[in-house]
Amino acid sequence: MRLGRDRVLALGLLALCGGFWAASYDIRDLGFQTLGSAVWPRIILAALTTMCLIYLATGGRGAPVAAADSEAAGRAGAAAGWARRYRNPAICFGLFFLFLASLPYLGMLIGGTLFVFLALTCLGGHSPRALAAHAAIAAATIGGMWAIFTFALRVFLPPGVILPSF
Amino acid sequence: MFEHLLAAVAALATFKVFGLMLLGTAAGLLAGAIPGFTIAMAVVLTLPFTFGLSSIEGLATMLAVYVGGLSGGLMSGILTGIPGTPSSVATTFDGFPMARRGKPGLALGLGVWASFFGGLISAALLTALAPALARIGLEFGPWDYFALVLFALTIAASLSGGQLVKGLIAGLLGMLVASIGEDDINGVARFDFGVDALRQGFDFLPVLVGLFAFSQLMSDIRDAAKAQAPLMPPGAKATRIEHRAAIRLTLAGYGNLLRSALIGLFTGILPAAGSSISNILAYDQAKKASKTPEAFGQGTPAGVIASEAANNATAGGALITMMALGIPGDVITAVMLGALLIHDVAPSPSFIGEQPVLAYAIFLAFFLAHFFMVGLQAICLRAFVLITRVRMYVLASVILAYCAIGIFALNNVTFDLWTLLIFGVVGYAMKELGFPLAPMILGVVLGGTAELNLARALAISEDPMLFVTRPWSLFFLILAAFSVFFPLYQARRGRSRWTLAYAPAMALALAGPLLMMGGGVRMAAAIGLVGYGLWALGRHARNGWAVDPAAATAPTLREG
Repeated sequence: MRLGRDRVLALGLLALCGGFWAASYDIRDLGFQTLGSAVWPRIILAALTTMCLIYLATGGRGAPVAAADSEAAGRAGAAAGWARRYRNPAICFGLFFLFLASLPYLGMLIGGTLFVFLALTCLGGHSPRALAAHAAIAAATIGGMWAIFTFALRVFLPPGVILPSF
Repeated sequence: MFEHLLAAVAALATFKVFGLMLLGTAAGLLAGAIPGFTIAMAVVLTLPFTFGLSSIEGLATMLAVYVGGLSGGLMSGILTGIPGTPSSVATTFDGFPMARRGKPGLALGLGVWASFFGGLISAALLTALAPALARIGLEFGPWDYFALVLFALTIAASLSGGQLVKGLIAGLLGMLVASIGEDDINGVARFDFGVDALRQGFDFLPVLVGLFAFSQLMSDIRDAAKAQAPLMPPGAKATRIEHRAAIRLTLAGYGNLLRSALIGLFTGILPAAGSSISNILAYDQAKKASKTPEAFGQGTPAGVIASEAANNATAGGALITMMALGIPGDVITAVMLGALLIHDVAPSPSFIGEQPVLAYAIFLAFFLAHFFMVGLQAICLRAFVLITRVRMYVLASVILAYCAIGIFALNNVTFDLWTLLIFGVVGYAMKELGFPLAPMILGVVLGGTAELNLARALAISEDPMLFVTRPWSLFFLILAAFSVFFPLYQARRGRSRWTLAYAPAMALALAGPLLMMGGGVRMAAAIGLVGYGLWALGRHARNGWAVDPAAATAPTLREG
């Protein structure tokens, strides 16, 4: 059996099912329910496992990982190509993670503005003109939205510890 | 009914509501026009702005965004050939050639007025059919609801472009996500892995926005060159919409208009089948019914009318199912359902009877939004042309931050932002790996409903045979079984003999539960289905079970 991308994925999903199945034994059984709290997740997991097995059995039509990898290794810069392909999403996910991690310290206004500015700069370039434009866009869009939520809609947005009012 | 309708008119007929609906429609039109910016995103971003409003004001605003979004896609589709939303894919087939032949104003007019009339037909049928469907919904027991959810998930998976197994895996993953946290029946924590925040489970709107909107934005900026380019290629320019000629042409083809609106409506009623499917179906039917099918694709008005009438009518159909049964018709109505719940409106079969003024206000707001849509098209067209100069990466970065602000504002909980990120990554990975997202979203939304009804059914009786002896449950289970085989049927249609028996067999099978239900209308429907099934089988037998290769070239249904 060739190990294609779909089959690797199916094996990963089966491992996930196994993990959740094991975790389902930690669900407390109250003893008096008609449908115990662990029953429904186990029904889902049983169906999911069945589907993953079908996926595993039928998912070999794609290029096998090993072959694809060796082909890729043969091409100069294949890894660089992969990195280029996912560069922008990876930057956005990374910056969003940093934005969330720093939210208790920076707050929504400063953190949000910084997130937009950094995202714009990483994705759109950092010439002096671009930097100025990005700073203006970040300040105007997030500042504007923050003001609408805080003053017009009276919706609480998280302040940071650095500048507690923002 | 009329007193409730009048009370709803009184509730809606205020300057405040009209102003909010105007803003909502304009926002929807622009969101629909921008490729990559989906209607679901626009509804989610609007939601926090409605917190301070009454239910009627808030829901009217969001319906205006929904209707505007459905009609906005035609602007970019006709002017540049790139549909703003999947709902307008078929509009480009004839709208763009018309614009290139020097008739952009007429093409836009046809799109606008077909959307308008399609929406009005749909709104009228929504008002008439939703209470009737709700009365039928009152007959449903927990067995029937469980089977209905099963059908919704299988049909969502089967309409995922022939990837049934991946669709089912996605749907089941969605249900697994919904099972995380305290269970609604016993209050026992599940799959919290020792993390306090997971005890409450995931709120479904952050999950939806992460899966759908976050992942969509990441897909839009993945290509570095595309991310830095303006939203549209040069060429989009505002033009004068030819209203009179468009109205004349649209009404002259009333048969096409009515047929397309009905196709849209009934596609919307089906759980999980949305406007991305109905516009293609209606276009295909218009082409088949036309005396000049060769003109389709060359810039014929009938193509634009069919697509746009169908996609706006689909919204009415999806609202019928959502309002009457609490089952979302597509991803957008799944978001709308979340929005309704935030405004303390829980759609169910008893909802229309218990809160008739609110229900009729929703119907009327849907109706009114179409008038605002027509009025605002010309203004939004100019704004759309200005927006097309913005680069995709700018739009994506700002929308991402707005999504974060909007999601935080829902519950004032920071964990929701982490949920957004986690499901953004999951959604993006699934898209890249070819998994459809619509079944997963429905799994998240309907997982709790399925469990609750299964528990209720087993609490009433532990006899599992009730799932096949109760007529409605059997009806939905038969539909679910046939929907599982639908991708195979689509793939083999026109090539394998057994596909000739698919539709007649389904008709004959569905006649059984209808006969079990009793009552004049259902008996008549059952007899009609039996008659059709036998006639079709007889016709194929007379033809020696010869397959028609032309059927294999018919368009396939794909998730938008």
